Amino acid sequence: MNKDWALSQEAFDALLDWLDPDREQAGIKYEDIRRRLIKIFTGRGCVEAEDLADETINRVTSKLDEIEKEFTGDRTRYFFGVANKVYLEYLRRKLPPPPSLSSVDSDRVELEYRCLERCIEQLSTEHRELLLQYYGAEGRAKIEQRKLLAEKLGVAPNALRIRAYRIRLALQECLEKCVERSIR
Amino acid sequence: MNPEIEKEGLRNYLLGNVDSARRTQLEERILSEPRVYEELSIVEADLVDQYLEGGLTELEQQQFETHFLIDPERQRNLRFGQLLKRYAVAHQSAPASPPFQRPRFGRRPVLVFSAAVVALFGIVVLTWLVTRSTTQTNVHGGIPISEVVKLTPGATESGSAPHVKVPPKGYDVTLELEVGNTSFRNYKSELFRGNRSLKTIQDLRMQEKDEQHVVPLTITGEILSPGDYQVRLSGLSDSGAAEFINNYSFHVIE
Repeated sequence: MNKDWALSQEAFDALLDWLDPDREQAGIKYEDIRRRLIKIFTGRGCVEAEDLADETINRVTSKLDEIEKEFTGDRTRYFFGVANKVYLEYLRRKLPPPPSLSSVDSDRVELEYRCLERCIEQLSTEHRELLLQYYGAEGRAKIEQRKLLAEKLGVAPNALRIRAYRIRLALQECLEKCVERSIR
Repeated sequence: MNPEIEKEGLRNYLLGNVDSARRTQLEERILSEPRVYEELSIVEADLVDQYLEGGLTELEQQQFETHFLIDPERQRNLRFGQLLKRYAVAHQSAPASPPFQRPRFGRRPVLVFSAAVVALFGIVVLTWLVTRSTTQTNVHGGIPISEVVKLTPGATESGSAPHVKVPPKGYDVTLELEVGNTSFRNYKSELFRGNRSLKTIQDLRMQEKDEQHVVPLTITGEILSPGDYQVRLSGLSDSGAAEFINNYSFHVIE
């Protein structure tokens, strides 16, 4: 395929229509697929995971006329097949060196910490307590603490793990937005 | 699939430890099953926490650094994990208590009274021990020690964490970190205020004191000002590998 093929609004709309007739649902599916493709490329050790995910989506979009006629089944799986081809091409190319662990200056860390404090203050008391108890203990005490917390909340340990992760994820999103606002 | 097996499979996948057939199988599920995708993200967060606590084996640590951290987003997640850990340790609330159960001796006043006497005696003894350990004075390397404070593992709120007075100019403070695992060659400590690392001290030795094992750590008085502090203690094995042991909190007052 022509790698310079650019995703036009028209082509993107066609992709969304193919993913779901409901535009909002289609948007959610598109985002999900992109995120998962990035995870997959990262899992394979690709240093340009986002670019490779976009390349995969572009290729599917550019062949949508043919795919619509021929392909039946779970549409997300079609992306997987294309991603495999994109990955093989990536391996044949000269690989860029892996990025080194970026160092962050102390001012930035201070800013992030202040944002974290602000975001935690915005949590409900229940979520804040859960977060502090779940992530506060370390070493051997952690296992016991989490077990007690699950008992207290009347949930299975894995359900507690998922609950804590969702709060953590929301908190990280809040922190990133707060940092973005602060450095603008 | 058994959740534990699935978790282990995803963990190996993230560390780059699976063959291509298994990888394909997992990736298809990651792409088409929202639950598996979320589980992968949770296992990622768990790995970050284990790395920060020094809970990975030497090989896993190497795989984490060379394979897992290849992605800038995961590097951001690592930084977030560090911040969250610092905050949670510094602000940890009282440990979760098990669901309420009616005490078996609830209808027996004699037992209740006896328990209260024992508890009161315990408080008196504990107070005496704390007072005794915090009023000793000493000299370390020619520099006078204003206070020796024993710290027990775990984090507590600033209100209940042991208090350390800001030492007079020219004085140091010694913290005795209580340890259970004495199998290490020596120990390493890192002093934090909030998320800021203030000082790292290597080659600390464990000592036996009052039938307990402690790692004494002497801190220059100048770096202490009122506020909450944490000490992160790691043990160094004969091979030189560091293993996280525990965090200790204390509160500095005027």
